[in-house]
Amino acid sequence: MSAEAVKELMKQKKPGEYNLIDVRQPGEYEQGHIPGAKLIPITELASRISEIDPAKPTILY
Amino acid sequence: MLRNAGLTNMSSMHGGMRAWKGFVAGGPPEAGMAYFPSASRPEELIALAWSLEEGSRRFYGALAGSLQDRETMALYQGLAGAEAGHEATLLTLYQEVTGDRLAAKIPDTLFSGIVPGEVMEGGMRVQQALEWTTGRSISDILDLTMALESYSYDLYLKMERTLTDGNARRVFLVLAGEEAKHLESMAALIEKRRTPDAP
Repeated sequence: MSAEAVKELMKQKKPGEYNLIDVRQPGEYEQGHIPGAKLIPITELASRISEIDPAKPTILY
Repeated sequence: MLRNAGLTNMSSMHGGMRAWKGFVAGGPPEAGMAYFPSASRPEELIALAWSLEEGSRRFYGALAGSLQDRETMALYQGLAGAEAGHEATLLTLYQEVTGDRLAAKIPDTLFSGIVPGEVMEGGMRVQQALEWTTGRSISDILDLTMALESYSYDLYLKMERTLTDGNARRVFLVLAGEEAKHLESMAALIEKRRTPDAP
């Protein structure tokens, strides 16, 4: 999915209707992230998978 | 792994953050929550949000009174009015969460030593932000406002994820949605100022 398509999806949907997950490291997230993104570093994804609602579309970056 | 966990409707953003050209928020996951070290109680989070809204209302109101450009002035008047509306929503939420239906205001004891309205969305002091805007171009001021609203949108969604009460979560989602609309309004105005001859 392109960044433009993600932006369009965010515009069309209300907050809370999708999962936006930042899988980078905390330092990268701190420097700048897409507003509303939840930080789950890729190394923690397996153990924190329950924090992602499977009923909603999920975007990872 | 993710598909096995039931995440079937899933996409990866091509190019990652480097490809993103939209609004950006900064700070660690706990940014903005730090005003209340133990901000686990819903009423504390509501108080935090109310205080930040009050700060933003003061900032936007003062800006609207100091700008000459009519369109930008109208934008800031609208934003100040919207923040006042958010405060009313948060007071109603406070009444519902605590059961104190007659509460006329959020008690000072919930502000944990901070002065309500001194700091605005984005974690910046109102006075400091107003001093910063002195002599700046409208584009600079709009850019600052975009950053503040992006931060606010980000903070509300973090608050929503922190809360367990369904009604409180819905209110923070609504507030986040409002901030998203503010961002769109500002983006449109910035774009218009960049291309003044566009229809």
